[in-house]
This record gives sequence, C-alpha cells and structure tokens, in this order.
Amino acid sequence: MNDTYIVSIVTFIYFFAAFFYLISLVFRKRFADGAASALLFSGISVHTIAIIVRWVRSYQLGIGHAPLSNFYESLVFFSWAIIFVYLIIMRRYKSGLIGIVASFFAFIILAYASLSGQVADHIQPLVPALQSNWLISHVVSSFLAYACFAISFGASIFYLISPRVSVLADRKLWDEITYKMVSMGFVLLTLGIITGAAWADRAWGRYWGWDPKETWSLITWLIYGAFLHARLVAGWKGVKMSIISILGFLAVIFTYLGVNYILSGLHSYL
Amino acid sequence: MINKLGIIYRAFGSAKLAIFLFFALALTSIMGTVVPQGLSPEKCRSLYSSGLYSFLDFFDIFDMFHSWWFTVLLGLLAVNLIVCTVTQFRRIYSVYLVPGRGIDDDTVFQSSQFKKSYRSDKGLSEIEGQSKRLLKSLIGRPVSVRRGGSSYLFAEKGKYSRLGVVFVHLSVLFILAGSLIAAIWGFDGRMTIVEGETSNRVFLSGEGHAVMLDFDIRCNDFTVDFYEKGVPKEYLSDLSILEKGKEVLSAPVRVNHPLRYRGLKFYQTTYGVAQKSYFLVKVRNKRTGEETLMKMGMMEKVPLPGAEAQLAIGEFRPDYQGRGPAVLGVLFEEGKPHRMFWIRKEGMFEKSKEDGNFTFNLEDFKRYYYTGLRVTKNPGMPLVWDGFLLVLIGFILNLFFAHERIWVRISDLKEGCEISVAAGSSKRREVLEKKLHKFSRKLGLE
Repeated sequence: MNDTYIVSIVTFIYFFAAFFYLISLVFRKRFADGAASALLFSGISVHTIAIIVRWVRSYQLGIGHAPLSNFYESLVFFSWAIIFVYLIIMRRYKSGLIGIVASFFAFIILAYASLSGQVADHIQPLVPALQSNWLISHVVSSFLAYACFAISFGASIFYLISPRVSVLADRKLWDEITYKMVSMGFVLLTLGIITGAAWADRAWGRYWGWDPKETWSLITWLIYGAFLHARLVAGWKGVKMSIISILGFLAVIFTYLGVNYILSGLHSYL
Repeated sequence: MINKLGIIYRAFGSAKLAIFLFFALALTSIMGTVVPQGLSPEKCRSLYSSGLYSFLDFFDIFDMFHSWWFTVLLGLLAVNLIVCTVTQFRRIYSVYLVPGRGIDDDTVFQSSQFKKSYRSDKGLSEIEGQSKRLLKSLIGRPVSVRRGGSSYLFAEKGKYSRLGVVFVHLSVLFILAGSLIAAIWGFDGRMTIVEGETSNRVFLSGEGHAVMLDFDIRCNDFTVDFYEKGVPKEYLSDLSILEKGKEVLSAPVRVNHPLRYRGLKFYQTTYGVAQKSYFLVKVRNKRTGEETLMKMGMMEKVPLPGAEAQLAIGEFRPDYQGRGPAVLGVLFEEGKPHRMFWIRKEGMFEKSKEDGNFTFNLEDFKRYYYTGLRVTKNPGMPLVWDGFLLVLIGFILNLFFAHERIWVRISDLKEGCEISVAAGSSKRREVLEKKLHKFSRKLGLE
C-alpha cells in the first residue's frame, strides 16, 4: 500500500481525535477524552507504519534514504513528532485539553501535506549534500524541538485566554507545561543546531555561515534562551512569559517555512 | 573604589544584561537575514535606493555579522557569560561541593524540602548503625560526626550534576573563543583545478587576493554522476598532493567527504567544463544542404555559415537521459527569440516542435572538467567541538542526574532516641520521597 494513502487516513484519525477532545472539553464527557487518546495511539501507530513503508519504498526505487529529506516528508514527520511528544507528556499532566492543540496541529499539518496538492509527495533522490549520516539526527532532533515548541505555544495561548474561558482555569498547569516544553525543546533545538553545524562543516566547509536558516535557528534559540533565563534567573512570571513563548514559536514557524518561502539560502530542501 | 568595581562586576553578570543581549542579538540578526549578506558593493547598490544604501552601508548591514557593533554585542555576551559562570561556579562550589560542608548543620532540619522527626526506643548506636547501612544502600556511603549528645549522618549522590548549568554556559564561551581564533588565524578560500593540471593557488573569500600553498594539488580526474531525472548524484574529484613535485598522497574528495592535509581541509564544492574543452558540431543548413564542421568552446557564440545566426554551447552532460553525451545548444537567429535544445551524436532533440533551419550533430568532443574546491584552515575548530561536547555533557547532567541529599540527626534521649531526617533533591522529588519512606519504614519508624 502506498504510504501517501496511509498518511491521508491518519489525517482523518487526528481530525477525529481533535473532535473528541473538543467534545470532552465542551460537554465534560470523560469517555470522549478516552476515545480521543485511543484514536491518537492508533493514529501514531499507523503513522509510524506509513513512514516505514515510505522508507522501504525508497530502497525499492534504488534511491534509499530516510524519509526526512523534502518538504512533504518533513511535514509528515513534524506531525508525527507533535503526537509523539504529546503522548509522552499526557501521562504526566492527565489533561486532554492540551491534546486539542496537539491533534489539531497534527491534523492541519498532515492535511496540508496530503490534501493540498501543493506539496510534492513523491520520493526524490538525495542530492550529494544530503547524503550524510547527520541527516537523521539533525532532522529528528530539530523536529522534536519544533513539536515541543508547538505544544508550549498551545499552552501559552491557553494561559493567556484562561481568565475568559472557564474550562481552562488551571493557569498553573499551562504555565508548567509551557516551561517544561520550552526546556525540552531548547535542549533538542540545541542538539539540532549542533548536529546541523557538524554536518555543515563536513558538507560546506564551515560549521556556521550566517545562512538565513542558520541565523533563524539561532534567533529561535536566543528567544527561548531569554525565556529560560527570564524565568529561572530573573524570576519573570505570567503573561510576559507566555508572550515570549509565543514569539519563540513564531520564530520556529519562520525558521521552518519563512526562510524557504521568503528568503533564500543554501538550505533550500527544508 | 572596590565598591564601584563590585557594582560594575554585578552589572556585567546580571540576568537582565543576558536577556537584553539575547533579544538584541535576535533582533539584529533578523536584519541580517532580510538584507542579503556578503554581496559585492555594486550588487548591493543595485538592490536599494541610494539613500537607503548609504544608511545600510554606514552601519555595515551588508556584512553585519562581521561588523564592529555585532562583534561588540558578542563581546558583551562573552563578558556576561564569564562573570555569570564564575559567580555560578563559586556559589555551586561553596553550597554543594565543599567537602564535609554542613554535616552537623541543625538548620537543615527546619528548612529542607523534606523534614520529619521520629522517636524510637532503640538505643542511639543501634539506630546509627542501621541508618548508616540504609543510607548506604539508598543513596551512598554516609559521613558522620558526633557533637554533644547527637550523631549526625549525611549522605548524598549526584552532586556534580549541579555543574551541568556551568558546563552549558562554558560551552558557549568555548564556541565564541573558537570562532575568534578562526577569525584571527584561520582562512577560507577557493581553488579551481582543471583535470590533469596542478595548482597551489587559493583565492581567499571576500578579499580577492590569492595565497600560494607550499605544496601542490593535482586533479587527476573529475566525474559527475546523475540520477535518471538529471538530479546530480555524486561529484568526485580524484586528487593527489605533491610535495616538491613528488606525489605523497592520493585521495578521492566528494561532497560530505573532505580531504585533510597539513591542517587544511579540501571540500568538493563546485565543478564546470574547463575553457580548454572543445566540441565538434556538424551543422547542416536545411535550405542549402550545406554541411560544416565547427570547433566550439563552452559559452562562446559562433556564427553559423551562410545565415544570420549564431550558436553557443551552454552545458555539457556526459550521459543525457541515458542516451549518451549531449551538449545544450543555444541558437540565436536574427529577429527570433533564442532556442535551446540538446545536441547528441545522432542529432538534436528539443521540446518545441518548431521546424528550424538547421540540424546539428555532436560529432566529437574533448571535454575537460575543472573541479572547484573550498580550502579552509580553522585552528579554532577543536575548541568549537569541545564546546559542543560540553553542552551535551551539561544537558545530560542536568536532565538525567539529580543531586539527592539526606541528613539524619540522632539525639540521645533518656529512653531511646529522637531521629530527625531532612532531605532535598534538585529534581524528581517523588523519587527521593520514596527513598525516605523506605528509610523510615526499615528503621521501624513508620
């Protein structure tokens, strides 16, 4: 079976997960929460299979490589990473509310990847610069970081609107999730930048060259670095922190998409 | 005077300065991604109006990451980091690492994260012996001291995990130092060598002048492979290093697989068809039936016989779509838009069906590639690698290790003794809490 077809099925699974989370939020039905989690678990299993199928298929085409090398593949992995990170933290926070954010993001991203028709979904051969062992570690750590930041973004939004929305009243929880996800994302982003630098040193002859992609990853790193220092050292709290976290996520989006669509540089394959 | 220095020292080490620098570097960096960097002055001038150009040029925005003010920001960050790291290390050292600190400190039994007090009718030395064994199995070998009628025990584990944050900060300093060393003593240049030829000339990036290496590099062969659809698959230069004309080393250089020699690294970056190549193209004028053999180089317009037209060769493919060697011909005809088509031995093929006045065949060719190499010397690289390593060690210490401490005070009473327990952990408090429960249960206190 074709992996792109499986992915389009996963898109709907995530949609229904988001839908059930919404029901559980609005009508306070516990069963809906359970159903949504079950959908996410089955969704990510099928999603994983799709990624493996694509991997195998690339070998059958004689251009075998990990499915992390073009825009379509990065979108598919990004949404996988968001659900993965959410399922890990779900046990700890026992709140399906943040699940709305995770499944909604995952759904939107997959819908764009598989239904928009704008994203080329065929398997492409690797150009020489991409033929490297650093590919997997660099892409995996970067996108896991993005996933953490996506969830922290959702939690920050919840924090900001919680005074107006009664079901979101637990502000301490949103603050805690924002902080935890930012710290985890920061570590992973650092890893992504380091593996990227090591790779750039091998492929392009320098570990850092102020290429727009590199610079924007640094901007993102600096914003979240400021977040952590503001919270841990300067003792900032509340709305200010949510705003920094939201700014950080805008920088993530720009690093991921804006650089390739608006600016130009070496990192043209996303 | 000392006081004033203290104020300045604290200002440079403040978190506010750090946060300010983070945002300042982030905001200015955005500018450096919007305005293209490192272009020639002529190119920059053509992109902006003259007023905007002079403004941007005044602040070195066209090469802002190497401008004086960006360097000052990075320098301030370095100073901020040094002061913070020193302060941080001294605090961590005095609070957590000084050997034998605070064993018999009574305040911990009031101020710690976990504190409890029990009574037991067993004797002090019996409880003491049991506690020591328990602490050893739960956390680590305890140290003990007797003062007055009390015995103090202290056990800890993972105290060096407190240094994780110091390592992370130190790593940034290492990376900054590495880049400073590279800027002073390193170089970054490019060289091109035609197949079969030898060169030692490296053109430095940005500065336009060349340096001569004291050894030579010969390009024995260059090959480029394509996937079926014309996407490049591999560039490979077969290079030899010559010392005083004698070959000492021969190695293939590919993208992602540079060659190291005497502190220099050679990277495959580009390639092209060298000037000395030539292509023999047979031209047939369909109207007159006249056939001519033309010897052509790359990228030069050659007039076609008997017509107001010129042909140029724009590209060479060793194997175009699996059908053998081909060149990309560009035909300029008077009063018509130019046309492009691939010319092979068997003839030409093109996408447009328009019938032209000529047919072309690639009769023969002698093609020489040149390989484009990037040559770098970066004596700061080891520091940068160490910085990367330090940041990883720092994160691992921070994420996967906790500093756990348990203090026990056993005070002799007339009947039995009083046992006070205090404990603290830098993270995962529930783990320590479980250990404390086990401790008091095994002692028969709960």
